[in-house]
Amino acid sequence: MRMLPIKKARAALVVLCCAAASLPAFAKEYLLTVTRPNNLHVVDPEKREVIRTIVLPGDGIPGAISVPKDGKVAYVLTNRMESVVGVDLDTGKPVFRADFSTPQRRVKGFFAVTVSEDGKELYAHQAPVQLGRSEYQVEDTYIAVFDTADGLNAKPRRTFPAPRRISLLAPTGNPDHVIALGWDMYLFNTKSGKIEKTFPIRHWERPGMGEPDVLAMWGTYEQARMLSTPYFVAKTDVPTDSPEAFKAGIAMFDLDAETLQVREFENATTVMFSSVINPARRNEAFLVMNQLSKVDTDSGKLLKRVDLPQTFYAINISGDGKEVYVGGALDKVSIHDAETLEKKGEITMPGGADQSIGWMRVVKR
Amino acid sequence: MKRLRALNHKAHLIEQAATEGHREEVQLMSSVVGCTTTFDPGWEVDAFGGLASLCQPMEADLYGCTDPCWWPAQLADSLNTARDWTDGKNSALRDWRELQTLFPGD
Repeated sequence: MRMLPIKKARAALVVLCCAAASLPAFAKEYLLTVTRPNNLHVVDPEKREVIRTIVLPGDGIPGAISVPKDGKVAYVLTNRMESVVGVDLDTGKPVFRADFSTPQRRVKGFFAVTVSEDGKELYAHQAPVQLGRSEYQVEDTYIAVFDTADGLNAKPRRTFPAPRRISLLAPTGNPDHVIALGWDMYLFNTKSGKIEKTFPIRHWERPGMGEPDVLAMWGTYEQARMLSTPYFVAKTDVPTDSPEAFKAGIAMFDLDAETLQVREFENATTVMFSSVINPARRNEAFLVMNQLSKVDTDSGKLLKRVDLPQTFYAINISGDGKEVYVGGALDKVSIHDAETLEKKGEITMPGGADQSIGWMRVVKR
Repeated sequence: MKRLRALNHKAHLIEQAATEGHREEVQLMSSVVGCTTTFDPGWEVDAFGGLASLCQPMEADLYGCTDPCWWPAQLADSLNTARDWTDGKNSALRDWRELQTLFPGD
């Protein structure tokens, strides 16, 4: 493990340690993001600067990030989606590693990785392929459960079958449950391995509505405890050349109530990649790609939209609901006022490295 | 299908799936992720037939597409077959000129 000599790194470590020592009265929020080749960054959004960079061991490219409730260890999907590395955010040292693949069997996890809220178990959706001499043999997909105490050579403690195409996992308020987003949303019991409930998305069978198109690659739910994603859907009861023919909407899964709500809010005129719900006003959603959009999910109305100077893939929000963070793609995290959507600040990643498909998570320390 | 004829093993399997009633197993994904699973148009035109919803600048989307192997025909597959394509080129905006064209056998 090598620490990058970033500016004020030592002072930043003190800040982190002090913040950790003063929980919970002085809990402070930090943003986590990743850049190539294989770096995890701790960002102080108040100071508008990267306060620490942790070089993850092994091959990149880092993507999904998951952190338990205590915010002490960050688990990052990396090594071309074939490994999860857990690093202690205070010391920067790796404390967990699970390599999915073996020389004869390639196993990928496409974004769908999450740690339980108590930090004891890690869940990873896995897609295995046997690499034969002249052919590949695709095997069934499953969710692998790791014990985070198993250290740097962790193997799955158990597995249970799971549908293909799952791209997001999140722990719900029930410690035995994990929600999975794929064609539909599946509520798994992690003890029995059974799907207890399926929330239809692709199979929603709503009159006048086709099958929605979902691009759910960014898991953001920690602030409002709502897992959300934009979707696009064709209406089947209007002419195809009608402005109403394609609608944009947002799907929201309440992690505590374990309920799914879908809401269209406009005729589709622009693409949106990811979304986040305001923890202070849970009827407000923010969505991002080339624009930053704000939506009232109660009324299904677009409240405000501003153009951004570049594409941003990922989005998150401060705990008080006052600042929206957009990141991913290139090397910037841009900070916006949640009321006006005006830009308030910008943070550049060390070395100008791209965040690419990396997630952006908030930890409280 | 009148003008198309299966020539190799995989094409025969696809034909067989259709004749044996397994056509439903071959479908577009609603949650699109991963190599060769996407039928999205490329960078030439956006979902609305225009340009405004293409990623801007295009370099913002370059590594975002190669890292999850989004368009394996247009971009290097850095998940599997071209894992070192971007080594040392950590900024697409700055380093794109150094990215090399890949040929079969590379």
